[in-house]
Amino acid sequence: MIWLDGVLVSPGSRSLHGERILRGHRVWDPYRSKLAALAHLGHEVDLPSSLRVLYLGAAHGTTVSHIADYVECVYAVEIAPRPMQDLLSLARQRENIVPVMGDATRPGEYAPFLERVDLIYQDVASPRQAEIAAAHRVFLEEGGTLILMVKTRSIDATADPDAVTRQVTGALASCYRVKAVVPLEPYHRDHRALVCEGVK
Amino acid sequence: MRYSMQRYWFGDVMEDTCTRAEGDTAALADRVAALSTKMEGFVPLRWEQAVLCGTAPDRAGYLALLRQVTTLLAERKIRAWYGRGDALLIQKVRMLEDLDRAASLVAERFGEWDRVLHPGPAEEIREPAPRRALEGARGRAEGAQAAVIASVDGLAAARAALVEEVTTGAREILPNCTALVGGLVAARLLSAAGSLDAMARLPAASLQVLGARAALFAHLRTGSPPPKHGILYQHHRVHNAPRNRRGKVARTLAARLAIAARLDCYRGARDEEFLKRADEAVRRAGRGT
Repeated sequence: MIWLDGVLVSPGSRSLHGERILRGHRVWDPYRSKLAALAHLGHEVDLPSSLRVLYLGAAHGTTVSHIADYVECVYAVEIAPRPMQDLLSLARQRENIVPVMGDATRPGEYAPFLERVDLIYQDVASPRQAEIAAAHRVFLEEGGTLILMVKTRSIDATADPDAVTRQVTGALASCYRVKAVVPLEPYHRDHRALVCEGVK
Repeated sequence: MRYSMQRYWFGDVMEDTCTRAEGDTAALADRVAALSTKMEGFVPLRWEQAVLCGTAPDRAGYLALLRQVTTLLAERKIRAWYGRGDALLIQKVRMLEDLDRAASLVAERFGEWDRVLHPGPAEEIREPAPRRALEGARGRAEGAQAAVIASVDGLAAARAALVEEVTTGAREILPNCTALVGGLVAARLLSAAGSLDAMARLPAASLQVLGARAALFAHLRTGSPPPKHGILYQHHRVHNAPRNRRGKVARTLAARLAIAARLDCYRGARDEEFLKRADEAVRRAGRGT
């Protein structure tokens, strides 16, 4: 990841949604993107230009666009029609984004489009987040990384976020080994980033 | 280990032979939409297989064609989603709610403004609602103030037309719910649920408190008394019921609404027999017998 004077940026000189441009780079705002928040909290994710990424829960494509600035290609999966329209117009401008409209709880719907990837990034508002991550294990390359942004409020609106996160970690155990659990405060409330690697 | 045939967007792959899927982008999209992929035993594709298949010359060509197919499929799904009648009705209700918020915001500011121009006696200050200040200023207002009054009138006209359309739309799309709680309340419930499909899947207890999110979560978090009603409060049977019976009326009404929403979603026609019994049940709840 590229830092300019302590500011996280991604290579790209055209502002997409009004973000600042710093010496020909797009500023990557940790308050808008959880992956940027994770980097600001000391867990930088390596994004070499050869990387292939599967992004579940792409939404309007803010984070997708920054990742796409770095890597070879991003498969961006989103279910909701309104954000999907934004994602489609983003994908029209960037040749390395493959927009996929589908339900992450039903990977069979779009599995014929996906290849194996080096990084799975999951940020979905579903009560079944662990299940979704497990179902996509098959798309992770040997030695690849899963970054799971646990939205604890989507799993249980009242329970303690740490308890919910422990539950998710436990449910992942058969296919992933959790290397780090990072609370995303102060950038994002009630979110925990899980950095995981695939278990054979 | 035996390999089973794997079906990908560009063709079917069996060990190292590939049967290419024929046709243009639309045909490829149709084919994938019709595949039902089981995840057990599924092996993800390698893009080189598409080259072997003859679908794409190289990596760049592969991605370009893939993007065309997935984009086409996504556009089709979006069109289908927005083509539903409830999607249009939901936009109309939300516009109605925004119009109301905008009109009351403007009227309130107008009242404050007019108060400065015409500082009346104290009792009058407290008494008239902002809307009445607006009516009072009609005729004597000039300049920007007159323009504001004109635009509030414009909003009111838009609102009247919109109410008409929402009520008609609700009668068509939510015939049973409309019969139970009226078109406006039915349409607001639909808007809060997100879609007719989602509304039909809601349990009665959720329908009962739809629109009372803050109270519901305060209850869940701190144990304050649970809300008795949300949007449903707007129905006259609920807000006209005696205070101690409102909860019961709302609960009974919500139970019948849950059934009505399912009838509307899966049958789409009025069920007179059901409506008669539902009406009796809500009446009984209101009487408290």
